[in-house]
Amino acid sequence: MGTLKRSSKPFALRAPAIVAAAIAAAFTLAPLTVSADETCNSPYISKLIKGQEDYVYVWALGMEGLGDGQDKLVTIDVNPNSMSYGNITATHSVGTRGEAHHMGFSDDRRFLWAGGLDDSTIYIFDVRANPAKPKLIKTISNMPEKTGFVGPHTFYALPGRMMVQALSNSKDHGGATGFVIYNNKGDFVAKHDMPTDNGGDGYGYDIGINPAKNVMLTSSFTGWNNYMMDLGKLVKDPEAMKKFGNTMVLWDLKAMQPKKVFNVPGAPLEIRWSLKPGDNWAITAAALTSKLTLVKRDAQGEWQAHEVGTIGDPSKIPLPVDISITANGKGLWVNTFMDGKTRYFDLSDPMNAKQTYEKVTGKQVNMVSQSWDGKRVYITSSLLANWDKKGEDNEQFLRVFDWDGKELVMKMQVDFIKNHLGRAHHMKFGSKALRKAMVEQDESLAEGAQSGAARVARSE
Amino acid sequence: MQYRARQAHSRSFQRAHGRALASLIALVSALALHASDRSAPATLGLPEVTWPNSQRASPAQIELGRKLFMDRRLSPNNTMSCAMCHIPEQGFAANELATAVGINGRSVKRNAPTMLNVAFNQFLFWDGRETSLENQVWQPILNPNEMGNASVQAVLDRINALPDYASPFEQAYGARATRESVAHAVAAYERTLLAGGSRFDRWFYGKDEKALNELEQQGFAAFKRFGCAQCHAYDEKSALFTDQRFHNTGIGWAAARNDKTYTVPLAPGVSIEVKESELASVSEPIPADEGRFEATRNEAERYQYKTPSLRNVALTAPYMHDGSLPTLEAVIEFYANGGIDNPGRDALLKRLAITAEEKRALAAFLRALTSEDQREWVRRARAE
Ligand code: HEC
Ligand code: HEC
Repeated sequence: MGTLKRSSKPFALRAPAIVAAAIAAAFTLAPLTVSADETCNSPYISKLIKGQEDYVYVWALGMEGLGDGQDKLVTIDVNPNSMSYGNITATHSVGTRGEAHHMGFSDDRRFLWAGGLDDSTIYIFDVRANPAKPKLIKTISNMPEKTGFVGPHTFYALPGRMMVQALSNSKDHGGATGFVIYNNKGDFVAKHDMPTDNGGDGYGYDIGINPAKNVMLTSSFTGWNNYMMDLGKLVKDPEAMKKFGNTMVLWDLKAMQPKKVFNVPGAPLEIRWSLKPGDNWAITAAALTSKLTLVKRDAQGEWQAHEVGTIGDPSKIPLPVDISITANGKGLWVNTFMDGKTRYFDLSDPMNAKQTYEKVTGKQVNMVSQSWDGKRVYITSSLLANWDKKGEDNEQFLRVFDWDGKELVMKMQVDFIKNHLGRAHHMKFGSKALRKAMVEQDESLAEGAQSGAARVARSE
Repeated sequence: MQYRARQAHSRSFQRAHGRALASLIALVSALALHASDRSAPATLGLPEVTWPNSQRASPAQIELGRKLFMDRRLSPNNTMSCAMCHIPEQGFAANELATAVGINGRSVKRNAPTMLNVAFNQFLFWDGRETSLENQVWQPILNPNEMGNASVQAVLDRINALPDYASPFEQAYGARATRESVAHAVAAYERTLLAGGSRFDRWFYGKDEKALNELEQQGFAAFKRFGCAQCHAYDEKSALFTDQRFHNTGIGWAAARNDKTYTVPLAPGVSIEVKESELASVSEPIPADEGRFEATRNEAERYQYKTPSLRNVALTAPYMHDGSLPTLEAVIEFYANGGIDNPGRDALLKRLAITAEEKRALAAFLRALTSEDQREWVRRARAE
């Protein structure tokens, strides 16, 4: 695919120019610490948990007829040295069942945003006041009316802002969609459509930013009709099966303009940039075709997509769903939903990813997150309410494994059915020590921060 | 490849020739207006609409019906409206799904039919279980698989609590929303979704000899010769292309046989074969579809389905009651084979001695049945 030249008119930029200026200002104000949180998230997140995490927050989908049936944020103590190791320290039910799915921290790691793919509600929890017991402080329920998008999926921190990548739209529940920018208080700032020309197919899924190179990558999944549909019915419907994204888009980050569309067939999902200094590549897994794709800068400075590996036997649709990259960019965990396997790929040569380990970690597995030091691997079970397996196979859990580089050994698990919690989906980590540091830093920086905030406010 | 290259060019052109271009545009659009004045009215080729008690609804009632039809707040979690399944841009049907998906992703076993010309259907639903548009309205609203509301009262309370409905209901009915006024307004809107005025209508009823090309005219001849018109009927005054009756083409019968193999497209050019049984772990069973039998319990009518109108059929893929045929070509191939043989197959269906050229002509004819003011009805549906 050829390079897309930028037109004189900002592409798909619906928001007034002043808003774009405010976003650009936000980028320049914040210090660009190019590091990620526990290997999987926005590089703008300022605080990392590099040692033992104390809590894992699990965003769980309510299950009809189980407990209160509502979506809930479940906090679990995962510090082996804690008295309450393995206990649930808090659950916060949000009142409805709206297909809880993903979460993301704000840049200051104070807020945890979480979304529902069905009813498009966004919940903002304060996780700093008490990391053991997150508190719901705001609910945004007008995203569809405000933007025409539905299905808030990825929550990605920008300096002082949150980007929310949607999956679908309120007109036809198909895959044409876009992303929305909010400030950290949850006020709407701007919306952008995914490109539908020059090879763009309009779908959205994940976001991955490389600030040093001023690039953002987006990937593509499918619309509400498909992700809400019974998986068996979907596979049998050839019309619906044709409605999955087959592209990734490279954007000029500051201008928020699409620059290049890559052909990546079969629904490329999660995007992970290598965090190793000097590396300029990101990796993704395509759910339907079971291929790993690397997006890398070539010697001429041009971004190119390369197929670099195959996950399991693609003819069996193992359905690779989540991936987690090691902090040194040398390895990648891949969960395949259908066969319940957690697989490790050696990325020493990123152009040639090789599977070196696999283990069945559940009857169905979806999310996989590793600790910063790579010694612990966390796994949950639920993909989507109507894609999860039925009956006996519908195990729902959080499982914590130790990894010594050779073998995954299960150390702890929480059964989400027995505990009447629902379907375990996305995970984020919390830490007591980090909170203490954050509060202290905040107090000493209070003055400076205030004047910075005032400047942003004026430019809005 | 360049983003918006053409537009950038036309902008500089516009700067240079601003005035001249503006007047040219005015002239062209005046001509276009004139041309559309002369093109067929949307009702050409359609019979008269019958309104209940010969009482045409008022513009305020019709507009209120439109608003209700489009409004996602008519479902408890603000996700489903009538228009999420009967999508204006997709011929008031749903092109991206074989069978519909309702609230919370629940499975609906049939393909969503178009709302265009629904005013003329003597029987509603593929099994014809309902006959009045007014009576039909509350069914999807209350159906747990479609819009999933708990009760009529729950919906009325919801509507009556929305400030933007107070004055439309007051204007249209002089009262707050009731079970009857909601049904009346939505049905009234549906009766205005008239979509005749196709090139076929201009040719056949408007006597404009050039409106259909040679191939399309041959297609019409084939349509008569191969017996399509026996079920998809028309007459000298108007055409709905339906006999308003039920027939067994074999699709329903075949779906009830088991362990089918499916070809699953995974990406452009990549597909795999999957057996029904291999999908059991991720499939919620969908109730069997017995067609007209479900409405009448008459054994002879098992697997019979309503003959759908063929007007605007080019806009409403995929086809048949289960959306199992993706294109018009696939439908024609299906009929060329005489449908699917089974004990109840309609006597009118048999293997056809049809040439490739005749198939092409039939498809071209079916594509000439599309109303010419398509964009206008989409605009009206979305107008706030
Ligand atoms: C979840 C998708 C869905 C929603 C929402 C929905 N419909 Fe339908 N509609 C269908 C399907 C599927 C059928 C065919 C069902 C059958 O034959 O059993 C249908 C059939 C109909 C028919 C009969 C048409 C004919 O020619 O037979 C009418 C009229 C209709 N719908 C109107 C409405 C109205 C009015 C609403 C909103 C109050 C609505 N629908 C909401 C999917 C939907
Ligand atoms: C015996 C009556 C009968 C005859 C003859 C017949 N049809 Fe049909 N047609 C039907 C019925 C009934 C359906 C719906 C069947 C189903 O859903 O299972 C249908 C469906 C269709 C559809 C799909 C419409 C939609 O909206 O899904 C098309 C197109 C069509 N017929 C074209 C033709 C053509 C072309 C011919 C002649 C080659 C023909 N039919 C002959 C009864 C008939």
